[in-house]
Amino acid sequence: MQHSSAPRWRSVPPHAVAWREWGGEFVVRNERTGSSHLLGPLAGRVLCILLAASGPLEAAEIAAKLDDSGQIGMIAEALAEFHRLGLAELESQ
Amino acid sequence: MIVRDCAPEALRQRLADGGVRIRTGPVVNSIRSRSQKVMDGLALHYAEYPVEDEAGFADFHIAVAPPRSPRRWLRPQIVFQFDGAVPFFPLPADQAFAMLEWGLNWCVSFHCHQYLIVHAAGVEKAGRALLLPGAPGSGKSTLCAGLASRGWRLLSDELTLLDFAVGRVVPLPRPVSLKNASIEVIRSFDRDATLSPPVHDTAKGSVAHMRAPRESVRRASEQARPRWIVVPKYAAGVQTRLEPLSKARAFMHLADHAFNYDVHGRRGFELLADVVTGCECFEFEYSALDEAVAVFEALAAKA
Repeated sequence: MQHSSAPRWRSVPPHAVAWREWGGEFVVRNERTGSSHLLGPLAGRVLCILLAASGPLEAAEIAAKLDDSGQIGMIAEALAEFHRLGLAELESQ
Repeated sequence: MIVRDCAPEALRQRLADGGVRIRTGPVVNSIRSRSQKVMDGLALHYAEYPVEDEAGFADFHIAVAPPRSPRRWLRPQIVFQFDGAVPFFPLPADQAFAMLEWGLNWCVSFHCHQYLIVHAAGVEKAGRALLLPGAPGSGKSTLCAGLASRGWRLLSDELTLLDFAVGRVVPLPRPVSLKNASIEVIRSFDRDATLSPPVHDTAKGSVAHMRAPRESVRRASEQARPRWIVVPKYAAGVQTRLEPLSKARAFMHLADHAFNYDVHGRRGFELLADVVTGCECFEFEYSALDEAVAVFEALAAKA
């Protein structure tokens, strides 16, 4: 049961993304756009959580999975950037 | 048979008629030209390269010839022809050999999609390849020429070909293109280096080519495993500085400097990621070539 009105996010399907991680930094290739991107440690971890999730998530839920509620603002920024890059989309309300 | 085995008149005749087929690494180039500059350039730079049978397969059919215009008698020009098409504007005739070299690079970078092609110089020591990706002016060719002059095997000064099957560098040793101040830097650094006479007022300034070391040409079929990725930056007067570069940033740098990364899709991503995984990655700033070469000698000695 969901009561929050906060935006909920889902990533593109895992098969639409290729990624590698070295020392906390990530590179990711979006198969839908053909573009590759460099992600910092937080953004990379957020993407991994979204890819592994069985359904859409709020920023607060992602923060909880990261065990870091102080990062909600940064997580929201990363999600907005993912949206711009075509790596994540907002769940329809 | 190598180019040096051809008598000059026979080479001239083959160049003028059906084309001389010269193997450079994995590709065979059928080259036709009546230009004396091309003839001289081939004799100087390609003496050690294999000549393939005229009846055999050639990857690229190339000609360097005067354009069909009255200017050929006023201020002589030449054009680069590829399979009969003319992909570039004409250049002054004294730039004929440089145009051939640029054209050969174009042929590979736009057609050899069996490889992932990175705009990078490459040299090898003890089976380990050092890749120097960078834009024009980054100092990669100067550094590459300096290392080749000190015993590193030249893989390429411009186009690093990565093999998809094994992730190794496929050598494409050809003359090293030196521009402007780099020409004198290399002349001073290696008194034995063989350089073509500089051609001035090209689109890149003054250009001269350094002959690839004979051993590099002879071993052109030996692939090399990438071991170091170094992003070079030449800047006058700076201290020599080698700093670690994260693998993710090195990946992006390689992808940004690959000619056909987009052509290969996910396959290209996985290949580059595998290459980066197996390499130490650095940023490198230099102004003194002798110090720069010493840094890489030390790096190779530690490996």
